[in-house]
Amino acid sequence: MADDIIFELLHSEIINYSIEKFKNNDNGEKETDLSVVEYIGFAAGYKIMERLTREWPRFKDELDTMKFICTDFWTCIYKKQIDNLRTNHQGVYVLQDNAFRFLTNFSNGHQYLEYAPRYVAYTCGLIRGGLANLCINSIVTAEVQSMPSCKFHIHVQRT
Amino acid sequence: MAVCVAVIGKDNSPLYIGGIGNDTSSDNELSRQWLVHTALDALEERLTTANPNNSGTNTTTARTDLRDLYLGLLFSTDTHKIYGYVTNTRIKLVLVTSSTSPSGSNIRDAEVRTALRRLHALYADAICNPFHLPGDQITSPKFDKQVKNIMLNNV
Repeated sequence: MADDIIFELLHSEIINYSIEKFKNNDNGEKETDLSVVEYIGFAAGYKIMERLTREWPRFKDELDTMKFICTDFWTCIYKKQIDNLRTNHQGVYVLQDNAFRFLTNFSNGHQYLEYAPRYVAYTCGLIRGGLANLCINSIVTAEVQSMPSCKFHIHVQRT
Repeated sequence: MAVCVAVIGKDNSPLYIGGIGNDTSSDNELSRQWLVHTALDALEERLTTANPNNSGTNTTTARTDLRDLYLGLLFSTDTHKIYGYVTNTRIKLVLVTSSTSPSGSNIRDAEVRTALRRLHALYADAICNPFHLPGDQITSPKFDKQVKNIMLNNV
């Protein structure tokens, strides 16, 4: 009964712990360091991708890989699929989730909006780690305009 | 019966090379490394021929090769046969069987396929070890033992 919420609780405590531990008291600005949380997501995404793609046939191209991320990968972790995938076919993809699991418990609008970035950092790392294991180097950022909907921007680095 | 099994990483570095038989002999170690190294060329060739332009002019056989992780018999020398398998994460698994030993000369393709799938499952478990960094060699004795089990069960 409480199974759904366990991951969310663990995730919010990881965020709280990392922010408290790595708080830089020297500079007066209120800057939160999220790189540790992003790296935790990266390592997790990297390892989970190996297990997830075991039974899956080979991906035809990059778009196929992105569709896999939107369906299977998201379903495995967040129990739902990405609602909208857009691309410009030049290596930029936008994944939109209208009910992002970590943000649904916050608010239904603009309350607590300034705290939203810390709750999507882990997921940015997760996507980046998963793609890195599939040999796609990318930069993943997130944009939250109104809760609980969230957009992830993926820029694929093509050398 | 499989003689040697190898796991090769994304950048073609060897992550694990294991064999049964005279493990302590350095000759065997070298010949295993050489066999696996020559298999890399054949693997790359299979991957590029299975990836022509995706304009829809593929024949159905090329399309099934494209979707399958198991690549089949890569090539065979006088004494050994080499089978390959490439995962979606560009990890290459190579299995070498001896074609001269009585149990090795009549190995079926299906047996090799299941052995490589089991190896893939073992590899997925081995990298979930939190102390394992991506790109490192696999040094877990448990992985070693299970791989040797796979090689021996393949009778």
